[in-house]
Amino acid sequence: MSKTETGSPGKMGKWTRRAFIGAGVVAGSALVVGVAVRPGNPIDRLSPMLADGKDEQLLNAWVKVDADNIVTAVIPHVEMGQGVYTALAQMLADEMDADWNKVQILEAPADKQYVSDSIGRDFLFPDLEVPALFEPTVAGGILELAQAMGLQFTGGSYSVRATGQRAMRTAGAAAREMLVAAAASEWQVPAGEITTADSMILHAGSGKAEPFSKFALAAAEQSLPAKPTLKSPENYKIMGQSKARHDIPGKVDGSAIFGIDANVPGMKYAAVKAAPVVGATVESMDATTARTMPGVLQILNMGDFVAVVADGYWQAQQALNSIDTKYSKTEGDSLDQEALFARYATHLDEAGENGGDVETEEGDVGKGFAEAVTKVEAEYKVPFLAHATMEPMNCTAWVRDGKCDVWSGHQAPVNARQAAADAAGLAFEDVTYHNAFLGGGFGRRSESDNIIMATRIAKATGYPVKMIWSREEDTAQDHYRPSATSRFQGGLDKDGKAVSWSNIHTHLFDPKDAPTVPYYNIASHKIRKVDVPTQLRFGPWRSVDHSQHGFFIESFVDEMAHAAGKDGYAFRRELLAGSPRHLKVLDTAAKMSGWGSALPERHGRGIAFVPSFGSIVAQVAEVDMSGPKPKVTKVYVAADPGFVINPDGFTAQMESAIVYGLTAALYGEISIKNGEVQQSNFHDYPMLRINEMPEVEVALINGDHKRLGGGGEPGLPPIAPAVTNAIFAATGTRVRELPLSKHSFA
Amino acid sequence: MIKLNVNGQTREVDVDPATPILWVVRENLEMTGTKFGCGIAQCGACTVHLDGKPVRSCSTPISAADGKAIATIEGIAGEDGTLHRVQQAWIEAQVPQCGYCQSGQIMSATALLQKNPNPTDAQIDAAMAGNVCRCGMYGRIRAAIKAAAGQPATGEKAV
Amino acid sequence: MKTLRSLACLAPILLAACGADPAPGPVEQIIVREAGAKTAAPAPAAATGDAAGALIAEGKAAFANCSACHAVAKDAPNGAGPNLFAIVDQPAGQVAGFAYSDALKASGITWTAAELDGFIADPSAKIPGTTMITGAIADAATRQAVIAYLESITAN
Repeated sequence: MSKTETGSPGKMGKWTRRAFIGAGVVAGSALVVGVAVRPGNPIDRLSPMLADGKDEQLLNAWVKVDADNIVTAVIPHVEMGQGVYTALAQMLADEMDADWNKVQILEAPADKQYVSDSIGRDFLFPDLEVPALFEPTVAGGILELAQAMGLQFTGGSYSVRATGQRAMRTAGAAAREMLVAAAASEWQVPAGEITTADSMILHAGSGKAEPFSKFALAAAEQSLPAKPTLKSPENYKIMGQSKARHDIPGKVDGSAIFGIDANVPGMKYAAVKAAPVVGATVESMDATTARTMPGVLQILNMGDFVAVVADGYWQAQQALNSIDTKYSKTEGDSLDQEALFARYATHLDEAGENGGDVETEEGDVGKGFAEAVTKVEAEYKVPFLAHATMEPMNCTAWVRDGKCDVWSGHQAPVNARQAAADAAGLAFEDVTYHNAFLGGGFGRRSESDNIIMATRIAKATGYPVKMIWSREEDTAQDHYRPSATSRFQGGLDKDGKAVSWSNIHTHLFDPKDAPTVPYYNIASHKIRKVDVPTQLRFGPWRSVDHSQHGFFIESFVDEMAHAAGKDGYAFRRELLAGSPRHLKVLDTAAKMSGWGSALPERHGRGIAFVPSFGSIVAQVAEVDMSGPKPKVTKVYVAADPGFVINPDGFTAQMESAIVYGLTAALYGEISIKNGEVQQSNFHDYPMLRINEMPEVEVALINGDHKRLGGGGEPGLPPIAPAVTNAIFAATGTRVRELPLSKHSFA
Repeated sequence: MIKLNVNGQTREVDVDPATPILWVVRENLEMTGTKFGCGIAQCGACTVHLDGKPVRSCSTPISAADGKAIATIEGIAGEDGTLHRVQQAWIEAQVPQCGYCQSGQIMSATALLQKNPNPTDAQIDAAMAGNVCRCGMYGRIRAAIKAAAGQPATGEKAV
Repeated sequence: MKTLRSLACLAPILLAACGADPAPGPVEQIIVREAGAKTAAPAPAAATGDAAGALIAEGKAAFANCSACHAVAKDAPNGAGPNLFAIVDQPAGQVAGFAYSDALKASGITWTAAELDGFIADPSAKIPGTTMITGAIADAATRQAVIAYLESITAN
């Protein structure tokens, strides 16, 4: 088990139970500061949730100062490449005036006291303004809800803007104030005369200088400041700097441990195949050949899937391939791609002019449209998309003696732990969940299907089992970005200004504002949805509903611009008049791209603008359509997430989101035939490769340091429409259905 | 028993000769730096060197390694632990995000530079197109290879 | 009262999270061997025991390595490689719907057992430019078994 107990060498480790104790991380031997609630909290409904007064002084411990002056930041989020460990530690360390070279990072264990209450706050009460996290009633209430929902969750581009801004910085500032107070008391000088820098406490008058650690214990005795003072941007020393990511060294020498690398003594390996049609069950399996194959230990019909357990994974997979399985008939067997889109069309037709669920409405769109001088109508479609994380889904589980241990990489470790407990028929407390690095998350690893399957297999065998999905299984059994259809009607007045905007689209998952355009100044708008069953399982896919609505909205804006006889950039400038922050982002991207300058024949530029997850992003794509298929040569990005904590890390997120979105725009399509997903591996669900990589140039804007936006997702929604708008500019062909590989541009 | 030379060390394993190198390395030798991605040589996450040439270990049976030297990501740093110049360039350019594909990327890149010390963009594309990075760090990969190409060889041992 | 309204909306979510049934156990559990027990002696390759049957069975087991890319069932879709149903003695590059390399299409080869043997031994040496960049079988006996298996898959 030792291999999964520690992360990569150097400054970072995983906080498993053993490491927790072994490292001596206990309140009382060191200063530990968190930001939620303490025992003795006067709020009645909180007290039952607090630890029973043992060593834990505080819940949600986000920082520790120990005897050798090391500051440890405890990160209640998981690392999937987005650089969250580093960015959140930067926020804490800066407020604390810690020496960056003496900062360690630990991932919080999957315990309920680590739920991200600040995420809960933004999910549940997006409009609620709470100035201080220590405001007990509100924070406590949200903590309770967040615990109930298991929100130790990494997603929604929330880590920096919610946990970082509200918790990490507050914890760092509170710890600093407590250390200063302890020093002031010891030195008998006013706290106001004491300064801090590089993990040292300094008093200029007396020349005294001591490390944080000297006062760690005394500081723990100080009362927790009610509202620690946060720095203003001119005093930031670590925030805003491109600090090297802590997780990278272990990722270049093979030592980083991902879920699939779990190493449990005596473990065996399982390969699985689930019923190819959602809801079908295994009717019979013929394992005549499989049971004779080398290494095979067990063959399991689990009802909804078949598993082979063997000494090695390859043996298990070979044996599984030889099993002839029959599945039950379901209603879904007859579903094809075309039938599904026809079903969408029927629902949209039935909703007509006034049906469906109204999401937002302002002004009278009917009147606006009737009075419009120019009318524009269009329908767009997007397919299902798989996540295709490089690390196929996997999980290692061991159920024995009323206990369960589970190893995987999950975006919501508390949910994973609960899922394992339910699958094993055990209490949450009897399950230990060990989280590892995620070989790509993108929303896929917020689901727990893999955890449940592995736990069920392990329960049946009694020994530890590492279940690994083949790529084929990973592709065919995903929780997909839904396919969708969206219809628009837009009206322009005699000056070519947009005056009405009506949209109806299929389904709405999250975020709820994805289909809306509040930033565009259009006199009347109405946005509706119809719910249509899709059969395939829905899963959040990087930028979630923004991934399709960014394409729908920004394509239609471009069509309106064209109908108005205006340039796409100029048309958007009109729509954003009066919003200087938005305009600056749009203008920056246009300027970088040399918008308006001449391009060669069959080359084109396209612009798109999508605020999402609290960040504002504009992109200009350049395409070369002279060859048989579209080639995206360059992407210019301007992004304003409020304040950029780690510029290089944020830039990397923009690059990454562009590739993820561009891959989908060019190739991404999961299709259904006879109820089954038709794609299986990278040959029929292709990925963008290095030879297709456009140059990406990123400009970052710090537009409002008090309201931070996310980084992981906002770079994605604009890329597809920027590219299709560029294709229109180059060829005159308007793409209304993705992926581009369906179209011929010859 | 099959006798292997892995990262300069002799190892013996008792496996079916048809077993792909990937699973022997990961499960029998417990070296998990080499990753499983697709199983059909489409993604490159499993890339190792066989006598210095990059191969997709998910689709190459262990019998093909008979009498040849296997090198994995764990074996490319110097004896003293000094990182290979490609690894150093990877850190310098902050290439990895999720990091899962990076062992394979680095093995393809080191093989490229061994064969071609100063690759052009087109040569980098040709050598690296078999390695998928879902986090899309291709621009950084290209930059890191170029940076490593311009660096004196450090921390390298013959593989 | 925005807060209260939000809380009310949440109730169904919270309820749904409670009281999950334990996940079902196996419908059928075939225990071939206990963990830790030595691998049993390999089962006879074919029930009939004849040498040809044994060779085909060995080829079928070895073909598992190929099945990641090649289907063999009649009318099954092509994978990363073409469907190999009844491939023996067919002209190369003719399986419907598969995007062959120019090299393979132009090869003029007919897939006799001998040609297959040479190709599987080292695809890109036999047909430079083939997209079959993996899957070579170095062991001659294994190749013979795989070819015997492919020969056994015919329309009859």
